[in-house]
Amino acid sequence: MAGGLVLTFQLSLITMAGGLLLGIILALARLSSRPWLYYPATFYVHFFRGMPLILVIFWLYFLSPVITGKSLNEFHAAAISFIVFEAAYFAEIIRAGIQSIPRGQSMAAYSSGLTSFQCARHVILPQALRNMIPALVTQAVVIFQDTSLGYVIGLREFLRRVNLVDAREARSVELYLFAGLIYLAFCSAGSLCSQLLENRRQRNWRFD
Amino acid sequence: MIEIKNVSLWYDKAHKVLDDISGTIQCGQTVVICGPSGSGKSSLLRCINGLERFQKGEIIVDGISVQHPDTDIHKLRSNIGMVFQHFELYPHMTVIQNITLAPVRVRRKSKAKAEKKALEILERVGIPEQAFKHPEELSGGQKQRVAIARALAMEPQIMLFDEPTSALDPEMIKEVLDVMIDLTRQKMTMVVVTHEMTFARKVAHEIVFMDKGQIIEKGAGNIFFNHPEKERTRQFLSRILI
Repeated sequence: MAGGLVLTFQLSLITMAGGLLLGIILALARLSSRPWLYYPATFYVHFFRGMPLILVIFWLYFLSPVITGKSLNEFHAAAISFIVFEAAYFAEIIRAGIQSIPRGQSMAAYSSGLTSFQCARHVILPQALRNMIPALVTQAVVIFQDTSLGYVIGLREFLRRVNLVDAREARSVELYLFAGLIYLAFCSAGSLCSQLLENRRQRNWRFD
Repeated sequence: MIEIKNVSLWYDKAHKVLDDISGTIQCGQTVVICGPSGSGKSSLLRCINGLERFQKGEIIVDGISVQHPDTDIHKLRSNIGMVFQHFELYPHMTVIQNITLAPVRVRRKSKAKAEKKALEILERVGIPEQAFKHPEELSGGQKQRVAIARALAMEPQIMLFDEPTSALDPEMIKEVLDVMIDLTRQKMTMVVVTHEMTFARKVAHEIVFMDKGQIIEKGAGNIFFNHPEKERTRQFLSRILI
């Protein structure tokens, strides 16, 4: 079961890194005034936010062999579907974070001669990122829970391992209660982190 | 010198934000723009440093056309300071970081040099002791003086003020106006959107009254206040001068 937990963590971290990266690109595209960037990114975000994650996993796992002729292993299939799916959520968090900064801030920066890159780097993003941290941590917790859906394509992550042990030992009540406690413990730790960061952020605003 | 030639700006054709505005602001002069809200004063100010794009006409600042494709707009802006109604200080930086950001990033000054200059300017606006605080800890009047210091740190040829005292408590207005009066004495070229008519009377070389995107009337202080020509100007003045 410990091995399953490691796999769950691996999958979560890969999803967060990949999802964040793709999410930033999508968010910037959604904020762009160029239609050929804005519309595809907007469509992407709306499409995946309107889909159950489990369906995305099924599609990728069962359709990709049909299209490419090669079957994906479970871990790759799960990681790719998670990244593709979660990026849509990250994109919205990042976009909202950037848009939460009043327009006057960029006007002040531009009026002093800063370029748009310098304005983003020194004025907008440092503020936006601080605003985003609680939402990003919450999303990370959600991803950690969502990895259990890898179960449906036979990925041997934590829940699947618990399930396998149950098949052998036939002690469903204790085992699933235990699994629940483990998920609860890690997610609570994540939420606590988010809370602490938020408190620190409010303090820092004044005194750092 | 700022030359504004037949500038029109609109978001939709039916409603023009600026309608054929012309005027010249000489070096070392202070021009005050007043008028009811929505008359296009702030938009005109933003057109001067290219923060807003206009559809017709031309604005030339010290010989450089603002919207010409070959114009280095960042360089142009770095010579024009701007002060906003709501200060727009960067909340995640200290006062001195606010002031030194552009000199270091745009002018490529060393940090030490920029900080030395920043402290000098803070002295000039009367708040050297606030240098290492965050904007949140300052009063409105102090914030606006930091904003002016931030603009001055770029050693601009021109200063634009967009209702610099409108968001301030009455007792803090004077400390900001004093700094601005000091600037006019030092022959800074200034365009000030404000309803502070005492300030206008005292320092403005010219007062411009705008309504619905048009210049209704302009003139030197005394003539403007004592003998306004247009009925609309009289109406406006009678409402704001009690």
